[in-house]
Amino acid sequence: MMKLKSSIPLLIAIAGLFCLPLVLQNPYYIHLAETILIYTILLFGLDIVVGYVGQVSLGHAALFGIGSYTAGILFFQLGWPIWITIPASIVVTAFFGGILALPALKVVGPYLAMVTLAFGTIAQILINEMTWLTEGPLGIKLTLPELMGAPMNVTEYFWLVAVFCILALIVIDRLVKSQMGRAFEALRDSPIACDCMGVSVYRFKVIAFVISAGFAGLAGCLYAYSEQYISPNTYNNELAVLFLLGIIMGGRKSRLGAAIGAAIIVLLPKLLDDINLFRIVASIIAVVVVIGAAMALSKKVTTPRRVVVPVAGVVGLAVFSFWLNSIADWRLSIFGFMILLVVYYLQNGIVGFAKSFYQSIAGKAKTVRGGDAEVVDDSISFISAVGNQNAGAELLKVDSVLMQFGGLKALNKVDLSIKRGTIHGLIGPNGSGKSTMMNVLTGIYVPTAGNVLYAGESVVGKTSSDIALSGIARTFQNVQLFGEMTAIQNILVGLHHTFKSNMVEIALHLPRYKREEAEAHARAMALLKFVGLDDLANEEARNLPYGKQRLLEIARALALDPELLLLDEPAAGLTAPDIQELLRIIRKIRDNGITFILIEHHMDVVMSVCDTVSVLDFGQKIAEGKPAEVQADEKVIHAYLGA
Amino acid sequence: MLSIKNLEAGYGKVKVLHGINIDVPKGQVITLIGSNGAGKTTTMRAITGMIKPTAGEVTLGGEKIDGYDSHKIARLGLAHSPEGRRVFTTMSVTDNLLLGAFPRFTGSRPKGDIKHDLDKALEMFPRLKERRNQLAGTLSGGEQQMLAMARAVMLNPEIILLDEPSMGLAPILVEEVFKIISNLKSQGVTMLLVEQFAAAALNVADYGYVLENGKIATHGPASKLKDDPAVKAAYLGGAGGH
Repeated sequence: MMKLKSSIPLLIAIAGLFCLPLVLQNPYYIHLAETILIYTILLFGLDIVVGYVGQVSLGHAALFGIGSYTAGILFFQLGWPIWITIPASIVVTAFFGGILALPALKVVGPYLAMVTLAFGTIAQILINEMTWLTEGPLGIKLTLPELMGAPMNVTEYFWLVAVFCILALIVIDRLVKSQMGRAFEALRDSPIACDCMGVSVYRFKVIAFVISAGFAGLAGCLYAYSEQYISPNTYNNELAVLFLLGIIMGGRKSRLGAAIGAAIIVLLPKLLDDINLFRIVASIIAVVVVIGAAMALSKKVTTPRRVVVPVAGVVGLAVFSFWLNSIADWRLSIFGFMILLVVYYLQNGIVGFAKSFYQSIAGKAKTVRGGDAEVVDDSISFISAVGNQNAGAELLKVDSVLMQFGGLKALNKVDLSIKRGTIHGLIGPNGSGKSTMMNVLTGIYVPTAGNVLYAGESVVGKTSSDIALSGIARTFQNVQLFGEMTAIQNILVGLHHTFKSNMVEIALHLPRYKREEAEAHARAMALLKFVGLDDLANEEARNLPYGKQRLLEIARALALDPELLLLDEPAAGLTAPDIQELLRIIRKIRDNGITFILIEHHMDVVMSVCDTVSVLDFGQKIAEGKPAEVQADEKVIHAYLGA
Repeated sequence: MLSIKNLEAGYGKVKVLHGINIDVPKGQVITLIGSNGAGKTTTMRAITGMIKPTAGEVTLGGEKIDGYDSHKIARLGLAHSPEGRRVFTTMSVTDNLLLGAFPRFTGSRPKGDIKHDLDKALEMFPRLKERRNQLAGTLSGGEQQMLAMARAVMLNPEIILLDEPSMGLAPILVEEVFKIISNLKSQGVTMLLVEQFAAAALNVADYGYVLENGKIATHGPASKLKDDPAVKAAYLGGAGGH
């Protein structure tokens, strides 16, 4: 029932969408609305790359163009119908999206922006030059597609676009809420942890670009029919910047934000063509902002100092609009000014701002503790039962590993032998090579020489995600959680390997996907309860206190069903009672047959749980043995423990 | 020297501190202990101006400093050695230390003899002296912690805030860090020390405050707190010591 109730506004919006052409009548306005819908489809896709994966792409205008030209060429050269050109556009553009993803695997941030910009330029030039295929600068003329033998009219085509827009909305919404969406966000927040959770950063970056490009292809195809004429100069870099702006202004990670962003980038330039329209809109914006600021001030959620500039800005803009006689000379300056205002003051976009504004005005105070009283099913076995068979046999063998950085030997021919079912301590001064060893074991570094055998197989040269999936999980010295994701979502990323369902199953919510999602959710809650975080399940990881973040990392690592768990300074920053709790958790995990390597500086932790301890100093193993033996070793006392 | 009255602070809608009072007299070492999420780091941030308190008052040497920006507070003589060290990794040790003295350049010339203070700081931390031209990022964790403390000393401050100086350090270095703290103490430096390693903190401090859920649960002379059964059970017991 709840679900039905919350979807009522959406259903009204959809009904309104279909009535729109009947109300508008004017083909010009119908076409504008259609363009907004098409841009919305593209922004849904672009948001995957920008909002979820956190990459910048200025190549989406080119992808949009590739979609358009695929449809245009198939229509013009071969006379194929729309029900073939649409899938063809999606597939061809998705392929080019995969190509665009390749540089994104190497470069990030401003460098990636430059590379995608170059991609856009090249694509545009190629379309222009390949006249034998694309008709070059002359462009291609299209007609509206046929429906049952007769050409569609404008209204019918609008409905077709609306149907595709709603389908895109459903698919994207389901995709980002599935294990795929979580993988995208995980690789944005911490690529290194993402790989170590068995979610290949490489693979999912490419998938994100491919999906994103598929939507750009669909939008491009619909756009070609909508305009009935395509030419290369439409798909320039200015359009690419405009798309990016749509996401930033509307608000990332939001479908509503994409729609608002699309409406702004389509309507704003039109709005600035007509002085009267501009005066009306500028006045409305000024009134809304002044009322909003007054409400915020009366509720004491902001200070006069903070609202004075935006209020003065919008009021000034309204006054300015009435002072102006002609808008033609000022168009671009005003456009730029409005963008500046939005980007500077609404950094989370319009939707993000509206959300937090509503929360602060409505006084919906967020509490860190309590809230969801979700019942945890205690019968779930949430820790992989490795069992105690073969206990004592060798699980991991580090054979004379050398790790050299330039002239520095961070690990100098170190041997380790880890027995199944034991807790193996690794201690040593800061900078002695302990964390380097962790990184070698998990594939982040490839050793210069030597070998690492896990369950009899060499892991050297394997990727981090393959090693993770083979059963080695880890935590990080400086906590590497997926900060923007909630506690339970962090665990669900660790459970990614339990999902077998593909994109189609996710989009259609087929039974297998629904079952997997429900099972993963129940198991994630059980894991959270195990580390005592079940009441914080829906809190963003970055808002948790440090000690709880460490426990969440352990729970996330357990989600991988590991046989070997590497803990890098789990007790750092914990108080005495927290440490007792940590020891209880470690022992309980060990009782399930899981093997540990434990790096720790708290000697009482090392002494109380470890079966064997190895000591590193300057990249070399200086001692090894039972905790008490190591503690009494002269070399260890001198290098590490102190008198 | 530093006085905090009815301080309230938090992040967005989440309130972390619910009116706390702390007094740091000149020349004394005051420690603030408490479990994870109690609000220790938030208290530090509110004092240094990294977050603005929502209520209450912070005064430094009689001047009201709440609401000031961090750089202004630093210029008034409050040095901060932050949790997790935060040294400037791509700059040399010497440059890191000179940056610590940056707020002393207010007029046309700096306050005091910076060259002399640099030598003094390097004397105090011999390991840094050996590595004065090395990039801070290439130092080990313990050396970075010393650099963060030395950088705070370079401000020639009225008071130093130390946030978790022993975190992630080998036992031998923890000992050294606390030696340096008592060394500074004997030179009359005023300090506010936040530390998970409560036993060691209470050993070096004159007076202690125990923070629980954003409120001061108890406070008293450090020697008394050490023997307080409740404090013992919650913060000093069993594990945690070295």
